[in-house]
This record gives sequence, structure tokens and C-alpha cells, in this order.
Amino acid sequence: MNPVLLWFHQLGSPPVFDRFAARWAPWCHGIALAVMAVGLWQAFQVPADYQQGDSFRIFYIHVPSAMLSLSIFAVMAAYSAIALIWRIKLCEILAMACAPIGAAFTVITLVTGSIWGKPMWGTWWDWDPRLTTELILLFLYLGVIGLYNAIDDRRTAARAAGFLAIVGVALLPVIKYSVVWWNSLHQGQTISLFGESKMDASMALPFWLMFVGVQFWFAGSLLVRARADNLRREAGKDWVARLVAQP
Amino acid sequence: MSYLNYLIGAYAVFAVVMLWDLLAPRLQIRRELRAARLRKGRAAKRAQPVELSR
Repeated sequence: MNPVLLWFHQLGSPPVFDRFAARWAPWCHGIALAVMAVGLWQAFQVPADYQQGDSFRIFYIHVPSAMLSLSIFAVMAAYSAIALIWRIKLCEILAMACAPIGAAFTVITLVTGSIWGKPMWGTWWDWDPRLTTELILLFLYLGVIGLYNAIDDRRTAARAAGFLAIVGVALLPVIKYSVVWWNSLHQGQTISLFGESKMDASMALPFWLMFVGVQFWFAGSLLVRARADNLRREAGKDWVARLVAQP
Repeated sequence: MSYLNYLIGAYAVFAVVMLWDLLAPRLQIRRELRAARLRKGRAAKRAQPVELSR
């Protein structure tokens, strides 16, 4: 068998995944912290925006968090689909581990957006399409978390919550294109992953550093949360007893 | 620096949520491992032969 495929199959084993997560999560978080530290330092070196003053620096935490809040939901739905089709237990665990991280980044997006909105728009909140759909995304994340914890059997719970995640994916294009489809108080798209960005290059570097940083953060958090759930599900198994017996 | 209070507020929210995301699952892992250790201890105690004496 191809060694990469073999490794991938072995990773589905709970003890192998536990070792993998315990080893790589600190690295992911460490890289994330280092990259974000440089990004934030850069974010405070660039000149203030000519219209928004220094408040535009909220952009460097708001936009990477917003992008991540959407992509985590897509990842959660993909893991859920794999778990439902092929009944891979690790994918159930990974899908459910995505939900609290996604919810955390959605909260950051909503709160930092609100704080940015007060001096720029003169209000903390508006029922604008972008803000409202992002709030619905938070409710979907909370729904997935709630459903997963409401059912005693972990596998049934993951399947039920996975369905909600897959259905909820329909919201993602609505959030992304809400500023295009409707007249919105929220500004249009400034940064594009594949196309031309409307932001000056001098201001873009800290953004990309923060963007890379939050991706590593997500990878680290996903591993740690999945490891915790894996240990909870496998409590009482021999490999867990051997794990705690190690010095 | 203009809008300093808003900047501090936004970055503080970011830091607090990230800190929660960093610590909460680690505490859960510690709880799970502690529970496993206690389970193992109880199982070992049950496995010990009990000598009956008059």
C-alpha cells in the first residue's frame, strides 16, 4: 500500500490520532502565535487610514476571523459528509471539534465588527444583510454544539449535528455575497484570495500574516479539541489506561 | 492614536476568546486523563486478592 495512504488509514485509529494530535497541536499553536505576533506588530506600523484613522486596524483581526468563521463551517460540513457516508469515527470527532472553534471566531467577528461599527457607522448594530447572516451563522454553530451535547449516544449525536452542518452550508454563499446582492451598510469585499485586492499593498502584508496565523491556530485548536473528544469517547479502553500509566 | 478605546476593546475581545480557545480543551484533556487514572486505580484495587483473616 502507498505509505501516505497507509499513514492516513492508521490515523483513523484513536490511539494513533491521540499521539499525532498531542505531538502536532503545540507546533501549530506555536507557529500561529509567532506569525500573528509579527502580523500584529506590522499592523501597528502601517500608516493610519485617511478616512477611518486608526480604527481601521481592527480590520486585521476582524477580517481574518470572519473568513475563518466561514471556512470552518465548510470544513465542518465536509467532515460531517465524510462521516455520514463512510462512517469514519474520526471524521465525526473532527467535525464536532470544528463547531466551538467556528463559534469562537464568529463571536470575534461580530463583536469586533460591532466595536468598529460604532465610530464608523455611529451604531453598534444594524440589521444589515452581512451582519444578520453572520449572526445566523453563530446560531447555526450553537445549534450544532447544542444538538451534539443533547443526545447521549456520541455517534447518533454526531450524525444528527452533522446533518445540521451540511444543511447550514447553504448559508455560506449568502453571507459572502450579501454585500453584492443587497444594498448594505457593510462595505464591499476589500480582500480577495484569488483576484485583485482593493487594499494598498503596504496595508495588505499584516493582513496576510494574520490570515496565515489564524489558519495555523485553527489547525492547533482542531487537534486539541478532537483529542479531548477522542479521549472522552474512548474512556475505559486499554490504550487510555496504558496512556495514563506512562510516566 | 485615534479611536484608541475602540482598538483596545476589539483587541481585548480577540485575546480573551483566543485564550479561552487555547485553555478550555486542554483543561478538558486534563480532566479526561485524571478520570482515566482514577479508573485505573480503582480497577487495580479491585484486582488485588483480599486475604481473609479471623
